[in-house]
Amino acid sequence: MSIRGYLGIDVGSISTNFVLLDEHKKLRFTSYVRASGSPIESVQLCMKQMVHELTDIEVLGVCTTGSGRELAGAVVGADVVKNEISAHARGALELHPDVQTVIEIGGQDSKVTILRDGAVVDFAMNLVCAAGTGSFLDSQARRLNMSIEELSEKSVTSTDPTAIAGRCTVFAESDMIHKQQIGVPQPDILMGLCHALARNFLTNVCRGKEILPPVMLQGGVSANLGIRRAFEEALHTQVIIPKYHMVMGAFGAALLAMDALPSQTKFRGVNVSEHHIRTRLFICEDCPNNCEIIEICDDDTVVGATGGRCGKW
Amino acid sequence: MNERLAIPNLGNYTVALASAVTSLGIEAWWSTSTNAHAMELGKAAAPESLCLPFKAHLGHFIEADNAGVENALMVNSVGTCRLRYYRGMIEEILRDMGRSIRVWGLGFDGIKPPLIRHFDPPAIPFVRAVLLAIEKIKVVDTLEINTAYTRAREVHVGETSALMERCLRELAGINTPKEVKRYHREIAARFQQIEIRQDVRPLKIGLIGEVSVLRDKLLNQNLEQTMGHMGIEITNFFLLGAELGNIFGIRVGNKKHTRKELAKVAKPYLECSVGGHAMDSVAHTIFCADQGYDAMVHVCPSGCMPEISVRPILRRISEEKDIPVLYLSFDEHTSPVGVVTRLEAFVDILRQRRRRTVHVDFAGG
Repeated sequence: MSIRGYLGIDVGSISTNFVLLDEHKKLRFTSYVRASGSPIESVQLCMKQMVHELTDIEVLGVCTTGSGRELAGAVVGADVVKNEISAHARGALELHPDVQTVIEIGGQDSKVTILRDGAVVDFAMNLVCAAGTGSFLDSQARRLNMSIEELSEKSVTSTDPTAIAGRCTVFAESDMIHKQQIGVPQPDILMGLCHALARNFLTNVCRGKEILPPVMLQGGVSANLGIRRAFEEALHTQVIIPKYHMVMGAFGAALLAMDALPSQTKFRGVNVSEHHIRTRLFICEDCPNNCEIIEICDDDTVVGATGGRCGKW
Repeated sequence: MNERLAIPNLGNYTVALASAVTSLGIEAWWSTSTNAHAMELGKAAAPESLCLPFKAHLGHFIEADNAGVENALMVNSVGTCRLRYYRGMIEEILRDMGRSIRVWGLGFDGIKPPLIRHFDPPAIPFVRAVLLAIEKIKVVDTLEINTAYTRAREVHVGETSALMERCLRELAGINTPKEVKRYHREIAARFQQIEIRQDVRPLKIGLIGEVSVLRDKLLNQNLEQTMGHMGIEITNFFLLGAELGNIFGIRVGNKKHTRKELAKVAKPYLECSVGGHAMDSVAHTIFCADQGYDAMVHVCPSGCMPEISVRPILRRISEEKDIPVLYLSFDEHTSPVGVVTRLEAFVDILRQRRRRTVHVDFAGG
C-alpha cells in the first residue's frame, strides 16, 4: 500500500533535511544529509533515500524552507516556499504548544524566536558574523582533528571550563590556541568554547529580548552536548531538545505543507532524483536593476528561475 | 568646453537636482541608484569602518573622475553625525589618490556657497533652475506616494515599478516649471490605469531610518519594491519635498510635520537631537502607532551612530504602543537573502496579529 503524505524539505547552508509526514502527522521518513556545497544533488540524494526506504509514496503536498528554499522549490515543485524562522516555529509549536523561546543554531545562521500564546511575536538573527554557529564548531573540530561528535562528547567531560573570548571567531581561535599551548586540558578548552558561543549568542542575538521558559534548542548544533549544557547554565533553566531537533525545519515545513492543503500538488514526482538538473546564471540587463538570474533547467526544459526582483522571471 | 558636475545620489530625487544643474548649462553626471561597480570602487578606497553611504558617494565620485568629470557636489554641514566631515574626507581621499575632481560643499561660506561662486550662474536662470528643481521634487514625492499605494495592490506584478521608471525618465526630459506642473496633474490618473485588487487590505508599514539607505535602491537592496511585491503598503518617511520644507522653512509639496512638531512628539522619549534623522524615526514611530499602522521597518547602515542610538528607544515605544519594529542594518552584502528571510518572517508575524485582532473585531459586532 502506498504511503500518502506531506514532504518538508529544509535546504540549509550545511545540510539538507527531508521529513515525510503521513496524513495523521505520523513521521514516516527523515533524512539529514551534509550538502557539501551542492544543494540540488543533496536534494536528489535525499529523494533517492526516501524512495529506497518507502518504495511507494504518494506526495500530497511539498513545502521547502531554508536558505536554499527557492532553488529547491523550483527543482522539486513546491506548493509552499516558506522562510526558516516560520518553519522552525511551526515545528516547535507542534511538539510543545506552550514553548516561549526557540533557539535555533544552524550552519551559518543562528536565530532566536520569541513565542507567546502559541504565536511568533518576535525574532532575531545573527547579523554579519558567523561566530557561534555550526560552521565555526566544524572548523575547530577539523583543526583538532576530531569529528564533530567527538568534540561534543569530549566537551562535557570537562570539570573546569576555561574562559574563551566569544565575540569573534578569530579571537576565539587565538584564545583556544593560547590555552592549549599553556597546557589546559582539551575538554576544558572545548567546554570553554561552548560557553563562549552560548554567551555570544545570548548577548548579541538575544539582546533586548525576554527569554522565558520553556526554551527549546534546535538546529544542527543542538546535537552538541556541550552547547546544550552551556545554554542551560547560562539561562538557569532546563533546555528542551525536541525529538526531531536535527530536522525541525523540515518537520515544520511538512506541517506547513499539510496546513496549506493543496488540492493539486505541484510536486514534480520522486523521479526528479534521476533527472539531470543544471543551473545557468546570467545577468538580466532589461532594466538598471541588473539582477543575477539563476535559471533551472531539467534536461532541456526550463523549470524555473530565481533571483529576479521585478517578477519578470 | 563646459565643466561637468557629479551629483550625489538621492534616489529618485536625483532627477530633480540633475535637471536644475542641466538647465544652467552645466552637464550633470548622475544616476538614481548607486551602481555595483561604483560601490566596489568606494569600498576599496574608503576606510573600512566608515558607513555604507560614505563608500557609495566616494565610489560614485571616483567613477565620475574616471569619466573625466571635473566637479562633484556633496551635501555637508547637516546634522550632528559624521556626515559633516564627509565632504572634506572624500576630497582628501580623492586627492591622495591623485585624482583631479573637485568636491564642492553646499555649505555657506560668506554670502554665496563656494560651489555657486565657482560656476557663477546669472541670477535669473539660477532662480528658474531652483524653481524647476522644487517642482520636480514635488512630482517625485507624488510618484513615490502613488507607487507605494498601487504596488501593494497591483494585479500584474511589476506594472507599478515599470510605470514609475517610465515616469522618472519622462520627468527628466521636461524643462520648464510650467510643464512640470502640468505633468504633475496627470500622474494620479496614470497610476489609476493600473489594475488593482480592490478587495485587499494590505499590511501598512512605515519605513524609517537613515536617508541614504531609505532612498538608494542599491544600498537597501531594493527594499521598497521587495516589500511592495510581498503585498505590503509602505510609507517611506523620507520625502525630500517635506525635508526641504523643514530645512528652509518653505513649503514644498506634501509636507506633513515640521521639525518642531516632530521634536514635540518625540520629547517623552528623546529630548534632544542625536543627529541625522534619528528624531524623525522616533516621532514617526509614535505617529504610526497612533494611526493604526501594522508595523515599522527601521533601516540604517551598519555602524550608523544616530540611528543606532535610537534603537533602544524604538524598542521601548514598540513595547509601550504595541507596534512591532523590524531592525535592518545594511552593509556590503550583495545577496538579498538575509533581508528577504527577515521580511518574510516579520510579515508572517504581522498577518497572525491581524487575524487575531480581526477576530476580536467580529466578536465585538
